[in-house]
Amino acid sequence: MITSQTIVVGFDGSKDSEAALQWAARLSRATGAKLRIVHAVGLLEHAGMEQHAAPHKEAAMQIAADAGARSDDVEWSVVDGDPCSALLRMTAAADPADLLVVGSRGSAAHGGSLLGSTSLELAEHSTVPVTIVPAAFRDGGGTGE
Amino acid sequence: MKLILAGPTGTVEHTADPFHPEQQSRIFAVMDGVRILGLEDEVMYPPTPKAELSDLLRVHSRSYLSELEAFCAQGGGDIDPDTYARTDSWNAARRAAGAGLTAIAALQESGAGVAFVPVRPPGHHAERDRAMGFCLLNNVAVAAAALAEKGERVLIVDWDVHHGNGTQAIFWDEPNVLYVSTHQSPLFPGTGKASEVGGPNAPGLTVNVPLPAGATGDVVRTAIDHVARPVIEEFAPDWVLVSSGFDAHRADPLGELALSSGDFAELAHLVNEFTPRPGRLALFLEGGYDPGALQASVAATLGALLGLSTHPEAPTYGGPGMTEIRTAELDRSRALEKIGTMISSREG
Repeated sequence: MITSQTIVVGFDGSKDSEAALQWAARLSRATGAKLRIVHAVGLLEHAGMEQHAAPHKEAAMQIAADAGARSDDVEWSVVDGDPCSALLRMTAAADPADLLVVGSRGSAAHGGSLLGSTSLELAEHSTVPVTIVPAAFRDGGGTGE
Repeated sequence: MKLILAGPTGTVEHTADPFHPEQQSRIFAVMDGVRILGLEDEVMYPPTPKAELSDLLRVHSRSYLSELEAFCAQGGGDIDPDTYARTDSWNAARRAAGAGLTAIAALQESGAGVAFVPVRPPGHHAERDRAMGFCLLNNVAVAAAALAEKGERVLIVDWDVHHGNGTQAIFWDEPNVLYVSTHQSPLFPGTGKASEVGGPNAPGLTVNVPLPAGATGDVVRTAIDHVARPVIEEFAPDWVLVSSGFDAHRADPLGELALSSGDFAELAHLVNEFTPRPGRLALFLEGGYDPGALQASVAATLGALLGLSTHPEAPTYGGPGMTEIRTAELDRSRALEKIGTMISSREG
């Protein structure tokens, strides 16, 4: 059986990322794995031209708590970079991720192109397993357990 | 002829949403900066054809180029929270990359002068198979790779406020290209640690000096002088290309370094010392998002290189960062020692 010690989930406040976080939090609760929620800060967000991370943190921690993750196991990280690069770097960090979790947004709108799809790019480049959670999972689409 | 102007490009194509800082108006500000110099007949405007696929394939994967072209042909959209493409962005990006090649060819032909490449979209964040940070194709890398392929030794100095992750990654293991970057850290894109020194075939040929917010011009010059100069002198470049972002200016909305337009003039003088002879220096526009700062900094930079007095803002001094420079030197030494040990143990 494959188990995860550290789950890293990308969170940008979108519905898809909420679904991904809910799934990851339930897995953390079920396995006792550490859950690191990563918010990538791009050029526009840094310049205040997009929503800042602070409101995202509050929302993310609430979703994790509602999904039953133990607060001691949940960590919030703000990382500079584009979402894909920021998550990939987490697999080479001092306490590396052994599972990446992201929402599925983007691929349909872009005709399946890798461009603009963090989930597809991660699936191509990651050295650890990647779970792509559909938005439909959120609130009733599945238990994740 | 003093100045080779390969561009401008991106004045019509690759239209941004009104809120986006990477706008056509940047190029107009840049060209206002060139006009301040009053060069008139001393400027050469070579035609700037689009880069060919074979030029782009030196630094980008075929699959990425195909995807980008198809994505644009289908109408484009947001690639990530920062980066967008439109129907005409594929052509705009190829034109920007082609302008750099034109600049090099014009310098080779004239054997004199300085080339400036005022183009958009910018390039230094674009990786081999990924667009990011407003960048689609890596313009400076396309030019450097064309030279490196012919055995020329190319120094790229990147003084943009952001680390040029794309350029670093593309030339990570390329012994004919030396990449030197000063940049604010922490900041997007999150790369550019001093311990990132290059791959096994090019150990030491990546030089990063991350600097804290508030660093002034004297700190950036010290970083290049103390950390990079010895490496550059040993490398002995045939060409010097500058990823000339002006978003390290204190008025820029996307960064927090504290340079003035006069600091860019000083940096230009410093970088010019590394050129082996006249006609071997080209500057590529990267970032820079405050129109006034962009105009003044372009005028100051080119004015310094062309020996013209443009009365820029005074250079800045006294900001933080000297400690970080010493730390960077140590981190770099340790990383190089580690690579040396790994190579020795492999050979042993």
